[in-house]
Amino acid sequence: MPFSAIHNLISLDLLRWWLAFRAGGGPLRQYYAADYATLDKPWREVEFLAVDLETTGLDPRKDVVVSIGWVPIVGGAVRLAQAGYSLVRVDRPMPGESAVLHGILDRHVEDAPPLGDVLPEFLAALRGRIPVAHHALVEQGFLDAACRSVYGLPLRVPYVDTLALERRRAARTGREVKSGEMRLQACRDRYGLPRYRGHHALADALACAELLLAQATYMDGKQATRLQDLLV
Amino acid sequence: METEIADIRDFIAGHHPFDLLPDTEVTALARLVSVRYLRRDTVLMTPGERVDALSIVRSGALETRDPDGNLLARAGEGELAGLRALLRGGLAVNHIVAIEDALLYQVPAAEFHRLRDEHASFAYHFSPTGGDRLRGARVTAGTDADASGLTTRRVGELVKREPIVIDRAATIQQAAATMAAANVSCLLVLDGDQLCGIVTDRDLRNRVVAAARSPQEPVAAIMTADPLSVPATAWLFQAMLLMSRHAIHHLPITRADGKPAGVITVTDLLRNQARSTALVAGDIYQRHDPEGIGQALTIIPDIVHDLVASGASSYAIGHAISSLADAATIRILQLAEEAFGPPPVPYLWLAVGSQGRNEQTARSDQDNCMVLSDDYDPARHGEYFEKLATFVCQGLAVAGYILCPGDVMAMNPKWRQSLTGWKATFGRWIDEPQPKALMYSSVFFDMRPIAGEMGLFDDLHAHVLKKAQGSRLFLGHMTGNALTHRPPLGFFRNLVLISGGDHDHALDLKHTGIVPIVDLARIYALDAGLPQVNTKDRLEAACETAKVSREGSRDLMDALEFLGLVRLRHQARLIRDGQSADNYLRPEELSSFERSHLKDAFTVVKNMQSAAASTYRGGMG
Repeated sequence: MPFSAIHNLISLDLLRWWLAFRAGGGPLRQYYAADYATLDKPWREVEFLAVDLETTGLDPRKDVVVSIGWVPIVGGAVRLAQAGYSLVRVDRPMPGESAVLHGILDRHVEDAPPLGDVLPEFLAALRGRIPVAHHALVEQGFLDAACRSVYGLPLRVPYVDTLALERRRAARTGREVKSGEMRLQACRDRYGLPRYRGHHALADALACAELLLAQATYMDGKQATRLQDLLV
Repeated sequence: METEIADIRDFIAGHHPFDLLPDTEVTALARLVSVRYLRRDTVLMTPGERVDALSIVRSGALETRDPDGNLLARAGEGELAGLRALLRGGLAVNHIVAIEDALLYQVPAAEFHRLRDEHASFAYHFSPTGGDRLRGARVTAGTDADASGLTTRRVGELVKREPIVIDRAATIQQAAATMAAANVSCLLVLDGDQLCGIVTDRDLRNRVVAAARSPQEPVAAIMTADPLSVPATAWLFQAMLLMSRHAIHHLPITRADGKPAGVITVTDLLRNQARSTALVAGDIYQRHDPEGIGQALTIIPDIVHDLVASGASSYAIGHAISSLADAATIRILQLAEEAFGPPPVPYLWLAVGSQGRNEQTARSDQDNCMVLSDDYDPARHGEYFEKLATFVCQGLAVAGYILCPGDVMAMNPKWRQSLTGWKATFGRWIDEPQPKALMYSSVFFDMRPIAGEMGLFDDLHAHVLKKAQGSRLFLGHMTGNALTHRPPLGFFRNLVLISGGDHDHALDLKHTGIVPIVDLARIYALDAGLPQVNTKDRLEAACETAKVSREGSRDLMDALEFLGLVRLRHQARLIRDGQSADNYLRPEELSSFERSHLKDAFTVVKNMQSAAASTYRGGMG
């Protein structure tokens, strides 16, 4: 594992302690107060939370979250019983193109709870767990922005990025990555995982969680893959 | 919160036995799933281990082996693993290993047990012996009870050839010539490409010859104008009602664009009725040569198709089809006696093999023999019976019952003996069960008298049954023979999985499913001295004796009926597609319902084969 990542994690722990102190009461405080796995833990003993957002675009400063889905990995298995999904109310008209993509129309989103009501549930599910996403920068950016706007504080947490893991695997074999090869379904295909219909935040979170199971299993050697091996 | 994942719910709902659960239960179940990924060669469970979930294979494959390492099953997409462990209180009985990278949907054991408690049809699927399930299989398969096809088939299906047509400007003479050339009894008259009239044989007789009309007049003058017709999509019963209401014998069928597609006749409709085996038999007795009998019998595939579609049992179908072979045999014997005169001494014609057992499903090879009275003198009577037997066997061959490749036919002098000769032959087979003797026994012990002096049968049959009854050596060897046909382990994807890990691409329903049951039933019956020859009748009678357990014989009867129906449905499909019927079922043809019940049937057969091996072959090695 690269030195910078360890460095980040150590400073992250300190930062989180300080943020927990600053957060006062509420969901973010409880979230920060919980312990989470140490870096040397075998991955099956670590709890993860795969998360997927559908957004109106890619820029957290301009675009907003339309829906969120999450599902935990506990004991090396994806637990659907603890999955969560919600649409999120959008206060401005949605741009046409992405609405078509997600199959979510304006009127669906009007009845949905506002971000401030959805976030506590998500943070409760995330407590003590490492978030996982495919191309995690998007989730990282939007969830951080959401916490800033709702609680006035950032969401600082290390992510496992299934796309980054896949990129690293390709780099190790010295293979050139072609366009489209890093899409979620394309990555799943390489592990023999089934095709899901996609473009639903919960289904995509599940698809991402299953991909992580396959990736971590494939990385297992004599000793099981450790958390630190998954944080790229 | 809406946490339903359609992909998982639909996958579970699409696989047996979860398809038996109400939608709400499947949706709830899908929400409780845990997903696990196993890399190839990873162990899912080992004997003695605690198991707290039922695994459904979503992708990849698992393999189950017993503690001694014998292959028991392979599970591919949609199939279950860990079932036995859950049914044994949560302790693993076997080794289960991923043989390909596998994604599993796991259902918590508690939820699985709750579903079994609350849904009888679901629980049924997991009952410990396959027999219970097989009993329900016919009902669940949901065939309706229309025994005629009249409400299940459309008239278009009956149209066998293009209609014979003529333009309305043609003369009566041209019309008659067209009919004669095509050998049809009715002709459609067209105005452009639209139907405008119909002319039948009867019209030519009544409106032309009897009315002394000139054959040079236009056909339009004598046709029935604007005849009744039905579209090709009409149900058979609609056509039938129309024809009987208007007392017409020919009904034109039209395409969607109004052009004629063909003509059906009353006979076509009757032929389509399943009950028409009686009519066919009647037809056979009107014929005067084997060719004609063969023509009458070409309807057999249609009868099989209709009987299957109407939900008839394989037992009933076997009897119906065998009865036609009987009729053909009797009629050809009559023709032979007309040709060669009455027999010089009494004789009996016997059907053996599948016809003997009333288990034919098609015109197959003929198996038959003759018993001659003890007054038979080869020097004086030999020639007569040789001619008679040859005439009948060759006649049956012409009528579509091909000559037996094993030469088990009355035209072979070996199988045309006096009563005393036959008793000695059977005696030898029983006392010296050599391989050939055993092969013949499995054919000749299934004998049924067809025509001639019935007293000869009673005498012979009583004698051989008494001789075979309780004969340990003979029955032991018959059992050894019966065990040469083994059912497969089950299915894996589109392959038939055979013991030891081999596979086939098709399931031989006859040799790996039906024949083993027929063989076992014969052994029970002979051991008990029972006169029945039909397999189901033998099993029913055998459980009244102590030769086989009530449970075991019931399971075998259900397995036989299920395998028989799967075979008949397969054959009906081939017939419908215009192919010839065979016994080879490709796994991709099977629904997941059929697969799981076939596996049950194999299990029943395997268990009963092992039981027979220890009863009849204990110490024989």
